[in-house]
Amino acid sequence: MKVKIKRWNAVATWRWDLPEDDLCGICQNPFDNTCPACKYPGDDCILLSGKCGHNFHMHCILEWMKQDSAKGQCPMCRQRFEWADQTNQTMRDAAQALASV
Amino acid sequence: MASTRERRISKELSDLQNDPNSGVSAHPVDNSLLHLKGIFPGPPDTPYAGGTFQVDILIPENYPFKSPVMKFDTKIWHPNVSSVTGAICLDTLGTGWSPVGTIKMALISLRMLLESPNPKDPQDAEVAKMMLEQPEAFAQKAHEWAVKYAGAPRRDTPVHNYQKVAPPPPRADDPARYQGYNKDLIDRFVHMGFDLDAVVEAFNYVGIDRNGGEDYVLEEAYMGDITARLLGEQ
Repeated sequence: MKVKIKRWNAVATWRWDLPEDDLCGICQNPFDNTCPACKYPGDDCILLSGKCGHNFHMHCILEWMKQDSAKGQCPMCRQRFEWADQTNQTMRDAAQALASV
Repeated sequence: MASTRERRISKELSDLQNDPNSGVSAHPVDNSLLHLKGIFPGPPDTPYAGGTFQVDILIPENYPFKSPVMKFDTKIWHPNVSSVTGAICLDTLGTGWSPVGTIKMALISLRMLLESPNPKDPQDAEVAKMMLEQPEAFAQKAHEWAVKYAGAPRRDTPVHNYQKVAPPPPRADDPARYQGYNKDLIDRFVHMGFDLDAVVEAFNYVGIDRNGGEDYVLEEAYMGDITARLLGEQ
C-alpha cells in the first residue's frame, strides 16, 4: 500500500528556558503566562533575570522599581536588582527603563 | 489594574484554603475581595495562647506593590499594637513590604509578633513601658485581655518568659580598656552595638595605628576588616 501525504499541521509548545521556579513572585502568574497587563505571552511579555538569580515578568519588576519603597532592591532577596542578560534589544530597553527609575 | 489585584487575591485565598496547616486563615467580607478578615490563634506559651485573633485587611489600589493595610479587630494588649485602635507597627507591613509578600505571609508575621513582642519599637507606648518595667504585670494583663476579648481560657499566665532581666552592672569607663586608642575612635564602633573590649581586640588584630591617642578617620578597608573581625568572619 502506498500512502500519499497531502498536508500536515505542525504543532509546537514553548517555555522559557529557566531552571525551575515557575511563578512570577510579583503577580503569582506562571512565567509562561503573561503578566496581568498583557495578552500574549512570549516576546511581548518577556522575563528579566536578576544577577541574584531571581526572575520576574519584565512589566512586574519595572512596576515595582517605580515604587519609592523598592529602593532598587530585588523583592526576593533585597540585593540590588541588576538584570543579568542584555543580549537583545528588548532587554536593553528594559535595562534602560530600570536605570531611569 | 483592579482585576489584576482581585485575581491575585482570589488566588491567594484559595492557596490559603488549601493549606490548613499554615494556622492562619482569611475570608472576604461584603463579597469584596478588597476587604478581608484574617484569623489566627494566639501562639502557645504566650499570654495570648488559646485566644482567637481577628485582623481587618484592606487591599490598596496598587497591591501587591503596596502592602495590605492591617489592623487588629480583636482588642489586644501588646506593645506593637495600639490598645485603642488596633493599629499595628510591623516592618513587613510598612517600609519592609515586598511585592512577593502575601496575605498569608503577613498573617504569619503577625502571629510571630505575638510570640516576640518588641517594646523597643512600640505602637502603644503605655503597653511598651509596662512590658519593660513590670514584665510580669504586662503578661498578666495581656492574658486577661486575651480571656476577655479573644476567648482564651483562663489559666495561670506563663510569666516565666516575662521575668525582668536585670541590666548588667554598669562598668567604669576605665581608660585602660582603650589600650591607648582614642576613645571617640573606639566608641564609634561601640555605639554600633559592639562590646568595648571586642572592639579594642579587633583594632589590635587588624593592626590599626594608635595615632598617639588622637582621633582620626579610618580608611574604609580598615573599617571593613574591623567589622568583619567583630562579626566573627575572620
